[in-house]
Amino acid sequence: MAKFLLLAFRNIFRNRRRTLMTLFMVGGGVAGLLLAGGYFAFMTRGLRESTINNGLGHLQIFTADHFNRDEVRVLDTGIDNWRQVAATVKTGGHVRGVAPRIEFYGMVSNGEKSSVFMGSAVDPEAEKSLGFTSNVVTGRDLDSKPSGEVEALIGVGLAKSMNVKIGDGLTLLSMTSDGALNGVDVQIVGIVNSGVAEMDARSLRITLASAQRLLQSDRVTNIVVGLDATDNTDRVASELTPRLRSSSQQLALKKWIDLATYYKQVNTMFNGIFLFMGIIVFFMVLMSSVNTLLMSMFERTREIGTMLAMGTPGFWIVALFMLEATLLGLMGAIVGVVGGNLIGALINASGLHMPPPPGYTSSISFRVLHVPAQMIGSSLLVIVSLALASILPAIRASRLKIAEALSHV
Amino acid sequence: MEEIVNVEGVSRRFSLDDGSPHHPAHSFVSALSDASLRVTAGEFLAISGPSGSGKTTLLNLIGCIDQPTSGRILVDGVDTSKLKPGSMATLRREKIGFVFQTFNLIPVFTAAENVEYPLLIQGVGSRERRSRVADALESVGLSARAQQRPDLLSGGERQRVAVARAIVHRPSLVLADEPTANLDTHNATQLIDLMHGLNRRLGLTFIFSTHDARLLEHTERIVRLCDGQVASDNSNEGGRRG
Repeated sequence: MAKFLLLAFRNIFRNRRRTLMTLFMVGGGVAGLLLAGGYFAFMTRGLRESTINNGLGHLQIFTADHFNRDEVRVLDTGIDNWRQVAATVKTGGHVRGVAPRIEFYGMVSNGEKSSVFMGSAVDPEAEKSLGFTSNVVTGRDLDSKPSGEVEALIGVGLAKSMNVKIGDGLTLLSMTSDGALNGVDVQIVGIVNSGVAEMDARSLRITLASAQRLLQSDRVTNIVVGLDATDNTDRVASELTPRLRSSSQQLALKKWIDLATYYKQVNTMFNGIFLFMGIIVFFMVLMSSVNTLLMSMFERTREIGTMLAMGTPGFWIVALFMLEATLLGLMGAIVGVVGGNLIGALINASGLHMPPPPGYTSSISFRVLHVPAQMIGSSLLVIVSLALASILPAIRASRLKIAEALSHV
Repeated sequence: MEEIVNVEGVSRRFSLDDGSPHHPAHSFVSALSDASLRVTAGEFLAISGPSGSGKTTLLNLIGCIDQPTSGRILVDGVDTSKLKPGSMATLRREKIGFVFQTFNLIPVFTAAENVEYPLLIQGVGSRERRSRVADALESVGLSARAQQRPDLLSGGERQRVAVARAIVHRPSLVLADEPTANLDTHNATQLIDLMHGLNRRLGLTFIFSTHDARLLEHTERIVRLCDGQVASDNSNEGGRRG
């Protein structure tokens, strides 16, 4: 077996220029996949963490009825014993903190103009303790214990459309749990830029206490749970689910991935692009290698004839060609993995930035993650491509007519 | 003496029906026609004749790398016309050694590795292989060149490596197709002497083809072919004997 392997290995280097070209092609395919895959991985990981840290949290607790709720009277299906639920959750392992929230809707007016808003009521201290950022670009964040006026943060787009600035007053109108329309005057203390233009055109944030006064309810719509690491999400969710059953209300625990619709869409898109690139590389390697290996077989016709004449079984010839192709694929994969990681490291060191994607207002740093699973997957892809490419030449070689092969010039 | 090869009324025709308008349908060229030959174990036999007389075809048929159109060939008592390709390969692997006109060594293997190859495909253990390769190379006087690749060997040396490769697995029969055609007279004579020596010392049966009249002086039995037929089968009284 060792000699057989040696023969295959030496055969690869008979035509060094051709082998080099094949290695560059295979290695280029692998490196390309790694760079694209590494960039996608960076993007999706960044999107995941920013989605979680921008307020989604790792887990969220709702009432079971929340998802069938009335969009107007949002607290009808809210959590009433939320302090007790929050205390229960806090005692769990890997839990960094909890933040109660009210998600509500209404109209905002400056006396001259009105607009629809998507409101979020938060406990500023709880949000800060979880590291959630408000993305305040002008002014300051909400004060957890404001002295006078009800404070509000509004999106940059909403501020522009309402033509308001820091210190200006606005009136919020929303439906209470009783179905009555209630209003509250707020003072703008900060302008927020989340980076998503559609969000910033509607978003408004006040404190939890202010929202409860506006909505005439002590309930919250959801409790956000922050963990020490995203990888612990499944474990903590499994631990919490049975503990939440003791609550008087039927509660539902959702993981971040269940709520991150945009993340899932982006991830699916990147996976699709990566798969498409993989298919292209697979066929590129397959087609070009078939030609190279057929040329190699043609050049070695007499030698194969000699081996067959000496009684070499046909499957040995098939195995030899497939082994050569597999070794070539393996070397190409090594070249590609080394090259791809080197180029990736250079890109990371260069500090390049990509222009903002559609719907975003800030640029994204261009970085490539080194993902072992992608290295293994891309390597296997080209090795299998080459092994498959060798089947036709290998079978042809094993079926050569010996007498004709021996007289081949 | 034991009969090692028995060629009985063998013919080999090649089809010329390649679709060309110059070749009418079902046209053939006859390379060998009703040839018969018996070879006993330990013989040193030359097949001679002009180019196109059927020497290579006859050796290919005896060597089981081609099939006769009619007639039958027995090698070491086995009727090769009834064998399937796999069994033919086994017969070649175990009982026949080949020496080719153009040496046909594996260029990426050293001389020793080339000689080792027939043992490798027979599944002989590595220790046994090493010992037999050393013996074979010593018997052709190339022990010192064992680790050289073919491109660093002279034509004569390459053909001696090919002879070592042909005998290393101790076959019943060694077939050599024009083994001296690419050698100068000195190397050609040396090679025939070498093969003859191995024939005498090891009792190996050698059948080789040549159209070089000078080499025939060294052989004991000469089968002459002409137009695909055995024209004569003579013992050469002047040939070397042990």
